[in-house]
Amino acid sequence: MKSEFTLNGKTIKVEAPERMSLLSLLREQLWLTGTKCGCDTGDCGVCSILFDGKLVYSCLVPVSELEGHQIITIEGLQKADGKLSDLQESFLRNGAVQCGYCIPSMILAGEALLLQNPNPTRGEIREGISSVLCRCTGYQQIIDAIEETARKRKAQSKNQAEKDMESA
Amino acid sequence: MTELKYVGKNSRPEDGLEKVTGKARYVGDYFVPEMLHAKVLRSPLPHARILKLDASPALQVPGVLAVITAEDFVNHSNFGWPVKDAYALAWKKVRHVGDPVAAVAAESEESAQAGIQAILVEYEALPVVSDIHHALDQDMPIIPDTEVPGTGNLTNTHLVRFGDPDPILENCDVVLEETYFFKHQEHAYLETEGALAIPEPDGGLTVYANDQSPFVNRDNLVMLLGLPTEKVRVIQAYVGGSFGGKDDIGYQIAAQTGALALKTQRPVRLVLTRTESFLASYRREAMELKIKLGASKDGELKAAKVNLLADSGGYASMTPLSSWRATVHAAGAYRYQAVHVDTKSVYTNNGYSGAMRGFGNTEGIGAIEQAVDELAYRLKRDPIDIRLQNCLTSGDVTMTGNTVNHAVDLAECLRMVRERSDWDRKRSKYASVQTGNLRRGIGVACYFHGSSLGGEGADYATTSIKIEEDGSITLTSGLTDYGQGSRTVFMLIAAEELGIDIARIRIMRPDTQTGIESGPTVASRTTMVGGNATRVAAQRLNQVLYWAAAKELKCQPNQINRHGELFYSPNEESLNFDEVASLARQMGLSLYVQGKWQMPIFTWDFDNGTGVPYHCYTFGAQVAEVEVNLESGKTQMLGVWAAHDGGRIIFPQGAFGQMYGGVAMGIGYALTEHMSYHQGYPQALNFHEYHIPSAKDIPPIDGNFIQTDHVDGPFGALNLAEPMMISTAPAIANAIFQATGKRWRTFPLTPQVILTGSDNPDLDTSDACKKGLGILA
Repeated sequence: MKSEFTLNGKTIKVEAPERMSLLSLLREQLWLTGTKCGCDTGDCGVCSILFDGKLVYSCLVPVSELEGHQIITIEGLQKADGKLSDLQESFLRNGAVQCGYCIPSMILAGEALLLQNPNPTRGEIREGISSVLCRCTGYQQIIDAIEETARKRKAQSKNQAEKDMESA
Repeated sequence: MTELKYVGKNSRPEDGLEKVTGKARYVGDYFVPEMLHAKVLRSPLPHARILKLDASPALQVPGVLAVITAEDFVNHSNFGWPVKDAYALAWKKVRHVGDPVAAVAAESEESAQAGIQAILVEYEALPVVSDIHHALDQDMPIIPDTEVPGTGNLTNTHLVRFGDPDPILENCDVVLEETYFFKHQEHAYLETEGALAIPEPDGGLTVYANDQSPFVNRDNLVMLLGLPTEKVRVIQAYVGGSFGGKDDIGYQIAAQTGALALKTQRPVRLVLTRTESFLASYRREAMELKIKLGASKDGELKAAKVNLLADSGGYASMTPLSSWRATVHAAGAYRYQAVHVDTKSVYTNNGYSGAMRGFGNTEGIGAIEQAVDELAYRLKRDPIDIRLQNCLTSGDVTMTGNTVNHAVDLAECLRMVRERSDWDRKRSKYASVQTGNLRRGIGVACYFHGSSLGGEGADYATTSIKIEEDGSITLTSGLTDYGQGSRTVFMLIAAEELGIDIARIRIMRPDTQTGIESGPTVASRTTMVGGNATRVAAQRLNQVLYWAAAKELKCQPNQINRHGELFYSPNEESLNFDEVASLARQMGLSLYVQGKWQMPIFTWDFDNGTGVPYHCYTFGAQVAEVEVNLESGKTQMLGVWAAHDGGRIIFPQGAFGQMYGGVAMGIGYALTEHMSYHQGYPQALNFHEYHIPSAKDIPPIDGNFIQTDHVDGPFGALNLAEPMMISTAPAIANAIFQATGKRWRTFPLTPQVILTGSDNPDLDTSDACKKGLGILA
C-alpha cells in the first residue's frame, strides 16, 4: 500500500506491504538503522520511536497506521547544523551510554517524557523510560542525564521568559 | 606522582557520538549489495540421534542459493576450547533444543526460512538428561561424543585442598550445613548474536561479527574452513552488550555464515531472533553448592567444606573454567584454618552453559554469603560485624592457602556501606516485630574476585601506537570493547602517558588485520592487562620522542621537562609535539611502537588443588534494602549501597556505569530472571517470559569506589566489570531473610518462591520451542 506521513520533519511517501512494521520500513526500506530490533515482539522497547510525540514500539506499528502521522526517530534529533541535542550531550556527559543499543530509544523516551512533563521527579523518569529495557547501565546515569536536561531546559525557559519580559 | 590530566577525570566515551546519534553500526545494520540472508535449522529435541539429514530439498525453494551441514566443514565442524566438543553444525546427534543442524543462505529472510523448513531430518529421540544429580548415574545416556576430560557425563572436576577441615569442624562450636541452588541466567543483551561474512576476491573471507574476541573467532574460522590465516579477517562491529555471552555462539555463527559466503560467493548475514538467541546460545550455568561451615562461638570462622555441582548442559563451553573460578572462591573472602572444595560439572541436555559475568564466582559468593549470614544469625551476631571479624586484609592467607600481598580495603568497604546505608538503625528497626503484608529487611554481602584469567590461561595483551604524518595518533588493541568503555580507558591512558591532547588519538575498531593478537577479551582483564600494554607502548613511543627532542635541544633525554605537549630543555628552549615527531622521523626512528604486557606468572596445581590461583584480587561489599509483599510475594528494592575496592579509577563515568549495571543484573538474578528446564525444554523463550529489570525495578544505587592504587595496575587500576554484580544477589537474599524470617536458598526469589517455596513451572514448551525456531508455523 501507499502511505504518506511525516518522518523527522519531512513529508515522505512510501509503498510497502500494509502489515509490514514501521521498524522494518525504517530499517530495510529507508535505511534508518538507528532504530534497533531487540525482540520484534513488543517486549524490549529498543525499537521505540516518537509517534505524534508519544513513545511507541515501532515493531508493533503496521505501515497501514502511518498515514498523516508524525514520526521522529533518533536520526531526527540532531540539529540542522549537525550539533547534538542537549539531551544527547547530557547522555554523553553523564556516562549514560555503554553498548549503545538501547540508547536511541532511551533518548527518545527522555524526549517523550519531557514533552509531557518538563519537570519530572526521578521516580517519574523511571516510570517514563520503563518501557525501554537496558541491560548495561542499571539506568541510573540515564536518569541523571534526563534529569539534568530537564533542569537546564527549565533554566533556559526561565531566562527566555525574563528576556521576553524585559523586551516587552 | 605528578598531577594527572586524564586518568580519573570526567571523560566522554570514545564511541559515544556514534551511539547517541544512532550511527553506530551493529551487525544487523549492515546492508551490503548482493547480501544474502541466512537461517539456521535447529533441533526441536533436547537429545536425539540424527538418523537421516537430507538438506538438498532446501535448494528447490525459490531464492535459496546454498545449504550447508557439518560435512561442509573441516572435521565435521568440530571446535571448542578448552574442550573440543562443539560443532558449527551438529554432527550425528543433537544435544539441546536449539542445537544447529543445517544452515541456508537465500535472497530474503522469507526464502531462507522456507529453505530450512524444506530440509528433511529424521531424529531418533534419546532419553533426556535433565537432573544434574542423576547425570552421572550408570543408566544415563552419554551426551558427549568426542574425547572429553571426564568419563560418561562428567565434564570436569576441580578441587581446593588447604589444610584438613574435618578435625577442625568436629571441634567447632557451631557448624552450619546447607545447600544453595542457582538457576541458569540468560545474558539478555539487547542485541542478539550475528555475523556478516563477505567473500574476498582472493578466496578469503572478511567477517563482521558482534563477538567478544575477534582473534579467537579468526582462528576458529581458519580451522573450520581450512583457510590460511592471512586470508581470514575478522572485524568486530559495534556490539550491543555481551557480558560473557558472545564467545562460542559468536564463533559458531561466524563459521556458519563464513561457509555460506564461500559457497555462494556472496555476502551472507545471519542475525538471530530473540527466541533463537534464548534457545541457541549459552547462558550462565545452574549450580548447586553444599556448604559445611564451622565457627567458634565468638564468631571466628574456622573451616569450610564445599561440594559444588555445575550444569554444563549439552557442551562444555566455558563451564570447565567458570566452575574452577567458583571452586577457588567458594568459601569467600575470609580467613580460615582449612578449606576443601570438591567440584563436578556434568553434561545434561539443559541448553548449554558458558561464560557470564562473574564466571562461577557469582554462584560461589552467592552461596557462601548466605551461609555466613545464617551463621551470624545462629550466633546472634550482626552480619557486618561477623564479616569484619573474619574478612581478608593485606597479608592474610586466603581460602586457597595463598597470601594476599597487596593492599586490601574490604573492611573499609564494609564500614562504608554500613555507614552510608544507615545500617545499624535500619537493621535494628526491621528486627523488631513487623505486622501487615509489607515487611522490610536490610542485608549485606561481600566478595573477593580474582583479577583477570588467573590459572585459566596465558594472560597478555598488546597495544600498538603510531604517530601519523599529520600528527594524529592511531591506537590499536587486541582487546575489545562491547560497551564496557575499555576503548576510552586505553585512550585516556595513552594520552596521560604521552602527555598529549587526547583529541589527537583515534582508536581503530578491533580488527585482526590491524590489531595484534591479545588473547580473549574476557575475565574483566581489559583495563589491567590492555591498559598496561597501552602504557608500555606509550612509554616506548615517549623514549623515541625524548631522544629526538634531546638531540635537537642538545641535552640528555632525562633532562627534558614536559609541559603539556611542549618539550623543554634545561635552559628553557622548547619544541612542540609535532616538531619533535617530525625530528624523530628525520632521524629515521620508527613512530610505530608496540607494547606488550603479561600478568606475573604464578601457578595453580589443578591435580592437587593447591597453589596461587590469581595474582591479585578485587574486593567489595554491598547492602540491599527490600520490602517484601507477603500477599503477592513480590519484592521491591528500596536501595543498594555499594563500595568496591577496584584500584585507581581511570574512567569514572564508565566505572560507575559498570557498578550500576552490575547491581541491576544482580537484582534481576536475585528476583526475576527465571531460566530453568523441564525435561530439557527451556521454560522461558523471550522477554515476556524472562524478566530483566526495567528502570522501575531498580532502586537508587549509592555507588562508591575506594581507590587504593594497585602496584601492578596501569596508574594503579584494577579490573571491575564482573565483580560489580557478585555480591548483589546474596545481599538481597539476606535482606529478604530479615524481612520474612525465611530462607529459600535458591535464586531467583520470584513471588512464586516467596509464596510457595518453589518455582518450577515444569511446562511442556516443546511446541513453543518449535514455533520459536520457525519449525512449526
